[in-house]
Amino acid sequence: MRIVAAKKILKANDQLAAENRARLDAAGVFGLNVVGSPGAGKTTLLESLFAKLKGRLRPAVIEGDIAGSIDADRMEQIGVPVVQVNTDGACHLDANMIAAAGQELDLNEVDLLAIENVGNLVCTAGFDLGEHLRIVVLSTSEGDDKAVKYPAIFQGSDALFITKIDLLPHLNFRVERIAADLRRLNPNAVVFQVSAVRGDGIAEAADWLAQRCSKRPR
Amino acid sequence: MHELSIVDALIEQVKETLDRSDERGRVLRLELRIGRLSGVSSQSLRFAVELLAPGTSVEGAEVVIREPKAVCNCHACHAQVEIDELVVECPKCGSDDVSIEGGRDLILQSIEVEE
Repeated sequence: MRIVAAKKILKANDQLAAENRARLDAAGVFGLNVVGSPGAGKTTLLESLFAKLKGRLRPAVIEGDIAGSIDADRMEQIGVPVVQVNTDGACHLDANMIAAAGQELDLNEVDLLAIENVGNLVCTAGFDLGEHLRIVVLSTSEGDDKAVKYPAIFQGSDALFITKIDLLPHLNFRVERIAADLRRLNPNAVVFQVSAVRGDGIAEAADWLAQRCSKRPR
Repeated sequence: MHELSIVDALIEQVKETLDRSDERGRVLRLELRIGRLSGVSSQSLRFAVELLAPGTSVEGAEVVIREPKAVCNCHACHAQVEIDELVVECPKCGSDDVSIEGGRDLILQSIEVEE
């Protein structure tokens, strides 16, 4: 007996993601999924953006890590409400983990919920978490060929944040090369060049994020 | 590595589908459609099934994987070319004015159950 199922294998995740998004919408919270390799500077970028957005938006963070709470500790130190999710080996967050973590936060006190995904350019691409916007963070030291080598993550993201641009004089990273690759893969994506240590581009990126947040349903 | 969580979801899907049908027999075969651009490796997926199937309803089932290709539509030379992996340029004329269609399926197509 052959049963025709014809169902998306990740249907359960997609449904949970839709529920997460509805829950954020109901509370007037803007969800941001932050993806990128380990060491790309995701936590540092969030710290810089939150500092710039102080007084304008109330942030909270879900930190996804395989183990430990180093990043969550950093968020606590700057006074941002944070929930640590340990995936116990899993290489990405999924919508179910976010549903559980979201219960730990008082969403009525939050405008921007940043979800810092597990450091990974491959597996994080396939799982909708219920966010409104996804940004991919790539540091200059990782090389300018990454959009072509990991197309799925770059195609599915709304913006590329090139971090550590203060290192450009020491590297052969060509911003124009990755920008051109991204234009072909994902013509609508926005590109930001930032340096958290020098502060380059942070104000512009924070304004953009605040503007995107202001369009969320209330 | 995300093939493990995909197989986890797959086993759940199979169980749900069987629960809703009247079939109580052993699962003989699963037919999946895993597009070439889905980011999922069929080889890793089979390995994950071997790891996770024991003790579940899909234990011992044959896994048949179809891997549909994607199509690159060129807006410059109007060629339609089947592709196995993502391209950013038309394989025929080299134009970057292309759109890619399909190849991203991650689908449980059918379940064959012993009568």
